[in-house]
Amino acid sequence: MQKDFVIQNKMGMHARPAAQFVKCASRFKCDIWVEKDEEPVNGKSIMGLMMLAAGRGETISITTEGEDEEQAMAELEALVTSGFGDSE
Amino acid sequence: MNSLPPVKIKRPASVLVRDFFEHNQEDLKLRMVGTDDGLSRRILEPSVNRPGLALSGFFTYFAYKRVQVIGNSELSFLGGLKPELARQRFSQLCSQDIPCIVLARGRMIPQDLIEIANEAGITVMQTSMITMKFINQATIKLDYHFAPMTLIHACLVDVQGIGVLVQGDSGTGKSEAVIGLLQRGCSLVADDVVRLRLIEERDVVGSAPETTQNMIEIRGLGILNVAALFGVGAVRLTKRVDLVVRLRAGIETSELERVGMGERKVPLMGIDTPTVEIPVAPGRDVASLIELAALNYKLKAFGYNSAVDFDQRLLKKMADRQLG
Repeated sequence: MQKDFVIQNKMGMHARPAAQFVKCASRFKCDIWVEKDEEPVNGKSIMGLMMLAAGRGETISITTEGEDEEQAMAELEALVTSGFGDSE
Repeated sequence: MNSLPPVKIKRPASVLVRDFFEHNQEDLKLRMVGTDDGLSRRILEPSVNRPGLALSGFFTYFAYKRVQVIGNSELSFLGGLKPELARQRFSQLCSQDIPCIVLARGRMIPQDLIEIANEAGITVMQTSMITMKFINQATIKLDYHFAPMTLIHACLVDVQGIGVLVQGDSGTGKSEAVIGLLQRGCSLVADDVVRLRLIEERDVVGSAPETTQNMIEIRGLGILNVAALFGVGAVRLTKRVDLVVRLRAGIETSELERVGMGERKVPLMGIDTPTVEIPVAPGRDVASLIELAALNYKLKAFGYNSAVDFDQRLLKKMADRQLG
């Protein structure tokens, strides 16, 4: 399954949010891809996510594929829409 | 390998003048002599044009999509025109939606012409190279910028001159193996995310995305700067991919190469690239196996195949016995 999200938190997807995302993604068996500007990276790779440099207001698209794809999407969605717990 | 990404190949339709300038400033010996307003313009064709005909007033079929290079002949032509006419032709040139202007041989044009370009928002640069040399080099650079590209989840290392792309699922220890290689004097091109470009439909060339250049992520340690830890000799910016090494965890020995007579290949951006599979298991020194694979590739490239040699020995021995 695939869903688009707009990055909400002020600082964008910097090191800490990227690490949170990878930690969350790595708990699942399914393949996870995160795409920005038509360039998909592995959602379980910190370097990949940081390479995207997704800033506030930019759109990323998350694809999950595999047995636990629904749960993975739900948890990643919660993480991204909460602004990764950044205060702003 | 179950988690190969949906490989998307991007073909850049245009290149920002800024990217062209910043990436090639040194190699093409470029410096800006006019406004930098024009850096946000786009080069639409991977080529250069000499605007001689345009300066003489003929604009039909004018190749406005390309980098405009002004060399000696254009300069002397401009110099021979009455200043008023020169200004008129030059502003006509600048009104053609061209990406930028490059003056070759370190030559300058009169300040009033620079002003015209500045007003039109077109960046004028100067190169100290002679015109032909600049044109040759710039075309090669532009080919690189316009090359089809993709991102791939892998590491790229230069192992004794051989470009080795290390692939494997998350957690197979790609980055850890790379550290082992760096400790043996190899150099890192990219960790975990590699940008691949297909050059001239023949070579696949990898580099790191700008943000992750020189960096490596090691589980438990975090992100490390390889250039700072191992010295600048331990990194390089680009490398052609010669060999694809695939790390595989938990595979049956029966699936593995045991003799190595043939050469296995995998398609990489449509190019058949030699590949080996290395099983990952506790206690196996993956770094030294990758190094070995690279050296063996080199040996094969020189025309020597250990397995074939061995097989021939065997065949000869059996043939001798039958004769004797």
